[in-house]
Amino acid sequence: MEHIRTPKVEQVKLLDRFSNKTTTGTLHLTATHLIFVESNVSGAHEIWILHHHIASVEKLSLTTTGCPLLIQCRNFRVVHFVVPRERDCHDIYSSLLHLLRPESYDELYAFSYNPKQNEQQREEGWQLLDLTAEFERMGLPCDQWQLTDVNRDYKVCETYPRDLYVPITASKPIIVGSSKFRSKGRFPVLTYFYQEKKAAVCRCSQPLSGFSARCLEDEHMLQAISRANHNSRFVYVMDTRPKLNALANRAAGKGYENEDNYSNIRFQFVGIENIHVMRASLQKLLEVVGTRALSVTDYLAGLESSGWLRHVKAIVDAAIFLTKAVTVEGASVLVHCSDGWDRTAQVCSLGALLMDPYYRTLKGFMVLIEKDWISFGHKFADRCDQLDGDPREVSPVFTQFLDCVWQLMEQFPQDFEFSEWFLIQLHEHVHSCQFGNFLGNSQRQREELQLKERTYSLWAHLFSERHHCLNPLYSLSSAEKHPVLEPLTQPWNFRFWRNMYHQFDRSMHPRQSVLKHTLALKESNVQLEATVHALKMKLQKLGVSTSPLELLSRPWEHGPPSRPRSLILGAPLSRKEAQQEEEEEEVLGEEALEDGPDGSGGERTAEGSSATENGYGELQDSFGSKSEPAVVSLELGVARMTC
Amino acid sequence: MEKTGSVDSLGSSSRQPSVDSLSSSSTSRSDRSSLARPPALSPESAAAHLAPPELRTTGKTYDKAFRGSGKDDPELLPKEVIQIVAKDVTYICPFVGALRGTLTVTNYRLFFRCINREPAFVLDLPLGVISKVDKISGACSRGDVSYGLVCKDMRNLRFVYKPPEDSLQKSAFDVLNKFAFPTSNNLPLFAFQYDQVFPEIGWKVYDALGEYKRQGLPNESWRMSKVNDHYELCDSYPACLVVPVTITDDELRRVAAFRAKGRIPVLSWIHPESQAAVVRSSQPMSGVSGKRCKDDEKLLQAIMDANAQSHKLFIFDARPSVNATANKTKGGGCESEDAYQNAELVFLDIHNIHVMRESLRKLKEVVYPNIEDSHWLSNLESTHWLEHIKLILAGALRIADKVESGKTSVVVHCSDGWDRTAQLTSLTMVMLDAHYRTITGFQTLIDKEWISFGHRFQQRVGHGDQNHTDADRSPIFLQFIDCVWQMTQQFPAAFEFNENFLITVLDHLYSCLFGTFLCNSEQQRVREEVSKRTVSLWSLVNSQLEEFVNPLYVNYNSHVLLPSVSLRHLQLWLTYYIRWNPRMRPQEPVHQRYKELLAKRAELQKRVEELQREVASRASASSERAGSPTRSITPVQTFV
Repeated sequence: MEHIRTPKVEQVKLLDRFSNKTTTGTLHLTATHLIFVESNVSGAHEIWILHHHIASVEKLSLTTTGCPLLIQCRNFRVVHFVVPRERDCHDIYSSLLHLLRPESYDELYAFSYNPKQNEQQREEGWQLLDLTAEFERMGLPCDQWQLTDVNRDYKVCETYPRDLYVPITASKPIIVGSSKFRSKGRFPVLTYFYQEKKAAVCRCSQPLSGFSARCLEDEHMLQAISRANHNSRFVYVMDTRPKLNALANRAAGKGYENEDNYSNIRFQFVGIENIHVMRASLQKLLEVVGTRALSVTDYLAGLESSGWLRHVKAIVDAAIFLTKAVTVEGASVLVHCSDGWDRTAQVCSLGALLMDPYYRTLKGFMVLIEKDWISFGHKFADRCDQLDGDPREVSPVFTQFLDCVWQLMEQFPQDFEFSEWFLIQLHEHVHSCQFGNFLGNSQRQREELQLKERTYSLWAHLFSERHHCLNPLYSLSSAEKHPVLEPLTQPWNFRFWRNMYHQFDRSMHPRQSVLKHTLALKESNVQLEATVHALKMKLQKLGVSTSPLELLSRPWEHGPPSRPRSLILGAPLSRKEAQQEEEEEEVLGEEALEDGPDGSGGERTAEGSSATENGYGELQDSFGSKSEPAVVSLELGVARMTC
Repeated sequence: MEKTGSVDSLGSSSRQPSVDSLSSSSTSRSDRSSLARPPALSPESAAAHLAPPELRTTGKTYDKAFRGSGKDDPELLPKEVIQIVAKDVTYICPFVGALRGTLTVTNYRLFFRCINREPAFVLDLPLGVISKVDKISGACSRGDVSYGLVCKDMRNLRFVYKPPEDSLQKSAFDVLNKFAFPTSNNLPLFAFQYDQVFPEIGWKVYDALGEYKRQGLPNESWRMSKVNDHYELCDSYPACLVVPVTITDDELRRVAAFRAKGRIPVLSWIHPESQAAVVRSSQPMSGVSGKRCKDDEKLLQAIMDANAQSHKLFIFDARPSVNATANKTKGGGCESEDAYQNAELVFLDIHNIHVMRESLRKLKEVVYPNIEDSHWLSNLESTHWLEHIKLILAGALRIADKVESGKTSVVVHCSDGWDRTAQLTSLTMVMLDAHYRTITGFQTLIDKEWISFGHRFQQRVGHGDQNHTDADRSPIFLQFIDCVWQMTQQFPAAFEFNENFLITVLDHLYSCLFGTFLCNSEQQRVREEVSKRTVSLWSLVNSQLEEFVNPLYVNYNSHVLLPSVSLRHLQLWLTYYIRWNPRMRPQEPVHQRYKELLAKRAELQKRVEELQREVASRASASSERAGSPTRSITPVQTFV
């Protein structure tokens, strides 16, 4: 690449954000990554930073040790390098500035990423999710709702998908008329159908009502939605904006539905703030938690004044309102905000997650994202800043949605098939531009970019790693017992998502995790089942018939799932890293311990005597144990005390 | 990607209170019963939640709870006697409003039952938790009188009641006032009447000599001294003390004169490998003039010498240095580094009992009954409770680090050495010694560092005492339990006990049902014959261990726990402080799921063994026929 002037700088220091720890190593700059390799003899520690992940590069003022370079990433990694020579630093800095925000889609990593799959595998990856099948699963089309081809060529609304479901009574002129009265042509369409009560969740953008304008077709459209549901005489219209914002929009010829003009609606403001407020809020939050010596006062006060948890709560509250209206009252709900691609996507998808246990499965959640976010045109390219664009369009709307989901997972640990790690992975790849799924702003644009022909699908990648993504506590019976989730929204139920925002800050990681223990236990059970099976086969060979294999409830034949290499740090980006992590696991020695009967069981040492064999890897590698007290680093201790 | 690959780092755990408390902690919410329960909750807890907190712990075997009993009366404990029953009392529940029912006062509990609701609403609390009974005059019609009860367990209760017009008849609240404060009314505490027999005898858990022996004491550097056998040297210390061999009893007596309340530096814990010791004491009486004491200096030198690994001694003064200086005017103070060579003095900035009491009072205001939505975090911040928890944990962490990695002996003191010192030494010991993370080990720790070393439970809790505003009351022990809970959140597999155990300990700190937390010192306890005349809380706990065991527990023998005291890891103990709030849903039973998995594993292991035996026997049988031995399958291994 022409931008890379200095591909390699040696003797670069990496400063830890929360302690005084420094490591020295070599910095490599490639066409896609910035790589830091620790020049340590024992097990070189590497940091790979994808250029697309870099949010900002800052060159700080020169110090005696060198020129500091501060890099902030979208996946909340913050690295602070000190480059000995100012010229090298400047070279890296200016190269990164060119590399981090490409001007055209073709320069994105997805178009050069090649995971060594053949063409057929790649195509299959794109066929994993099928939205037509998803609408069929909901029971559509049915006697009240039909598929319309009005948007076949993206003529009516270019940010909507081709396939749209509308009430059977909504004729083409009504649709077209309604779309002309809606911002960006985003007319009301169905996004989720609650079969039990025949109630629909519909989405659209704000009406172009201004101070007094009305549109008969739009009124007909809402009537059609209302009439499609016999359970309720009216349809809720949720404007997810604060009332003030909606009022302000009227001056620009937009606004909200006037209850007098629409005969059968109940109008409701929800009060979720706009993308600019959310951007500032997350920025404030990150500033607070990024402070090194953070006092109790500053932390709690900062957390509150950032407003992040309050915004998260507002979205969950809105989703609860939606869920209650649909599942309890059996009413259809029309959700919109301004353009109907940010807050609307958040509320619709979170509501569906509360209503339908299917969306709480791994595949279901992918479908949900594919449907409510990707196909309905959440502007991933703009919001995630994929190309060099308007910084005012960037906003953590999707991150916030993931945060909401995480808050729900905290309240209902048994109801989600996927784990926190899966959410973090999603977040990682929404910004990585490594897979085609999230590129561009709309379905139409994605088709133009020929993403299905030229890039790989993230869903296939995540499916291939599905054993990492699963939540060991997931229980189907729990979903049967309460299919509709009713989260609590007292302020204490909303917490700072440490594993997301501190995912790269080693010193912030917990020491022991229940999840890990449960995973290990589950694995051992799988292996025991395998042993039982093997023994039974043996008995059968010996000519004894045994009872049916009642214990084989799991597909152990495919081998036990291996434990996630890292629950926090994300999937390895390269084979090399994968190897390293495998090596590390061996070094940690806990594998031997947690392996079942057919693993490396023979390598076990005497019980209770060695520090490495008691599963305290997390403690051991950061603090040492009695057998190696020297590793108990004071430095870390002090760091923990000051932050 | 970083190669730090911490497989362990996904700790949803640290935010999740231990969940095996699910069924039990829901029982602790009597107020819950009255509310429409969200359908998401499992129905079985609906029955269980009627049991009040103090009875929850009496569990299956000794179940005196009145689950499902339709009577108005509580099922009484042995020697519990109903004192008065008042009909038509209204309980003003802050969550559901006024409830009319029957109030029963016994010599142990207050029991209120409203049967007009489905399920019936029951409020049942030991009188010991009541700190104050207020008669709120005015505002009530028809001669009704309103009573406000301030409780020690983070709640306040309000009743409206019409006292009998006949002045010869006793009012229920006069009776309540009498039995809620037996000490002030010259009545015995209920613990001295209660005579339930348990299969396990809790008083046998702690034996000072046995515990020191476990630590390898006495040894060539440390001896047991009988100098305080009759509590003559120090009336707030235990009889059994461990001191350096080089110091004579006479010298100890002279040291006692120099230390506040005679609480001389004695050993609490010794490192099994490095021989670094954790020593506790009270402040030196150096005063403004900077008095010195040769014997005290010699004792500290001897403590340092007893540890060959280090030529330094760290003195941790738990107080802020300002407070230590202020104490000089009262004759107290701190060690000067001139007088004590090779000693380094460190202040840990932990505030005194009055600050802590005030902090908890504010916390109660913030969490009970209602929580303000918009300012939850800043209100929480204004209580400074978490800040105090952080300072205590950080202090203990520094001490543990000095002992563990610095291999240096430490002396810990505050002013009198029975509040902050007890918090610090016991937390340090929990961090350093896995034994104290077991159930019996933790009981030993409380018996040793708190009870025998004279934490003034009677004064700090005010058992049976009417003087609500007593300046000696302070939630010091609660803070210690909170700190332990914080550690269990960070190390969910390192503790044998669960959250239910910690809450049970706290409930019985106030209940006065057991003798465990009575009196101020060992001397008083011996004089009152507490161990003969009362039952120990550990009798109850050890008789039904399964309720208190953490299924995730793995015994990591030699491991040191160094918790993070970053605010990002500390959190308010919601399941304790907000447990009365009906919106405080118990956590989903994650631990239940873990227990299921464990049971399944046990079953599978059994099955494997059976099959192996069968294979072996078949194989030998067939080999007899075929003459070819079959290789047996790898034996099953268990792992921790």
